[in-house]
Amino acid sequence: MTGVPALVAHGIEAGYEPGLPIVKGASVTVGRGEIVVLLGPNGAGKSTLMKAIAGLVPIARGTVTLAGAEITQTAAHRMVRLGLAFVPQTENVFTTMSVEENLVLAGHVAPASVRAARLAAMLELFPDLARQRGLAAGRLSGGQRQMLAVARALMIEPHVLMLDEPSAGLSPKLVRDVFAKLVEIRASGVTILMVEQNARAALAIADRAYILADGRNRHEGSAAALAADPDIAEHYLGLGGADASVVGRSAP
Amino acid sequence: MSLQFLADGLFAGALIGLGAVGLTLTYSILRFSNFTHGDFISWGAYLALGTVGALTGWIGPAARFMPFSFGWPLIVGGLLAMALTGLLALLLDAALFKPLRRTGHGIVMVIASFGASLALRAMLEFLFTSEPAYFSRAIQIAIPVGLGIRVTPDQAAMMGLALVVVIAMHLLLTRTHIGRSMRAVSENPALARVVGIDVAAVIRATWLIGGALACVSGIMLGLTVQIRPQMGFDLLLPLFAAAILGGIGSVWGAIIGGLIVGVAEAGAVQLIGSEYRSAVAFVLLIAMLLVRPRGLFGVREG
Ligand SMILES: Nc1ncnc2c1ncn2[C@@H]1O[C@H](COP(=O)(O)OP(=O)(O)OP(=O)(O)O)[C@@H](O)[C@H]1O
Ligand SMILES: [Mg+2]
Repeated sequence: MTGVPALVAHGIEAGYEPGLPIVKGASVTVGRGEIVVLLGPNGAGKSTLMKAIAGLVPIARGTVTLAGAEITQTAAHRMVRLGLAFVPQTENVFTTMSVEENLVLAGHVAPASVRAARLAAMLELFPDLARQRGLAAGRLSGGQRQMLAVARALMIEPHVLMLDEPSAGLSPKLVRDVFAKLVEIRASGVTILMVEQNARAALAIADRAYILADGRNRHEGSAAALAADPDIAEHYLGLGGADASVVGRSAP
Repeated sequence: MSLQFLADGLFAGALIGLGAVGLTLTYSILRFSNFTHGDFISWGAYLALGTVGALTGWIGPAARFMPFSFGWPLIVGGLLAMALTGLLALLLDAALFKPLRRTGHGIVMVIASFGASLALRAMLEFLFTSEPAYFSRAIQIAIPVGLGIRVTPDQAAMMGLALVVVIAMHLLLTRTHIGRSMRAVSENPALARVVGIDVAAVIRATWLIGGALACVSGIMLGLTVQIRPQMGFDLLLPLFAAAILGGIGSVWGAIIGGLIVGVAEAGAVQLIGSEYRSAVAFVLLIAMLLVRPRGLFGVREG
């Protein structure tokens, strides 16, 4: 990690009602070009932290900086213009719109001259979506829907891509597919921060990881070190191997 | 039995449908039943009356387009009045609904809109009295079009206009960024923000469009009956029936719902008498809510 980090969230306190923080002073730093995963038990506040960074949940305390510029109180709809893309955990595509409309809508923040090329690039990166481009997104399979959500986020050519459980509800094969795509995306220069329950599979592609519990940082370290720590493995990673892919929940 | 009720019903239905399109859009994006929509219709008619009066006062009387009852002042004045009605809706939002949106729940908004509806109507009565007004006193000759049906040239023109407006709305919602943004906000406001949509701007566009469409139905109504301050409010039940029949959020649904309500009302008047006219919309509304609450073309529960 050299130079100014791509994304820093420092001492974040955030929640849905005033005076009732869910995230209680969590901090996350993502260096340029890194893949960082956020792990932790259900209800730890991982999604709330992601939403707070993306501007969807009000931040009571702490700061967020994107490539050195403070964006703490920036409205959510301006974040994409600054190069921060977010894929929420649930309801992350417009189900009543076609695949293509989802992509076109998201690509609108880009200059008109490059929109068509971006759409073509996304359809090339995700051949499944190209075949279904006219279909209402609500009729896609869980895996295709997740691909669409990622493709939609990439339409803005983000500097930082935030993903909340991109593999939730996917079969082991699709988990591998999605993660392989993420590695490809990172190779193209995008910085990635993601929340995952498929901890082992996520650590396998990540550089570093944070473990969040009850709204606070519990552990952090390189992905390899955390994966090798028996104590952490027992408490947070489940006991299966990378491919056991214990998927705790079904798709939304 | 005469088939005239079909023509009358379709005309009334087109007018109801246009009003219902605005209502269904504001409902699906702002998520409350806006009772002022009927008053936007009345205000639209009076504003058009005002702009037409100002135009003819300024340039002098204009010849009418034979065989219609109106000339270019109604076209230009109508467009102006559409913009003004849109602005009125925007103004009301800024003054009343926007502050409530931050804290209020749906029901607070509904009640606020009910109060605003009373105020808007009272203002019209104060400004124009409750004496009826007219766009034109020219007598229209109804032209036989077969099967014993007669249609006035104005009615035919307005039906054409309604069709154009609906097609324009359809294209707006499916082909333009603002239209797609409106659909996005109506489905999932949080995700809309995530993809870069300024929800406040979409809400403003929705009021402008809803107000302008209400004005069009006000003008249609004003061309066929007298213009009175409560005319739009009286239309509220058919408007809601049409919007719910068609499915909240669906433009084509609102128009088809409007046509169904219009024809059913006209049919009932012919069959059982005009006293039961307003019961028809009510019965359709309740029946639809019981049988299929998401309406004919709706995607969500209404
Ligand atoms: N929209 C909301 N309004 C109020 N409280 C919420 C909302 N969303 C989440 N919470 C609360 O915030 C807490 C943390 O939820 P959050 O979704 O951030 O957890 P998470 O770590 O992402 O869990 P999971 O692994 O299950 O996705 C939970 O106790 C939850 O009840
Ligand atoms: Mg979560």
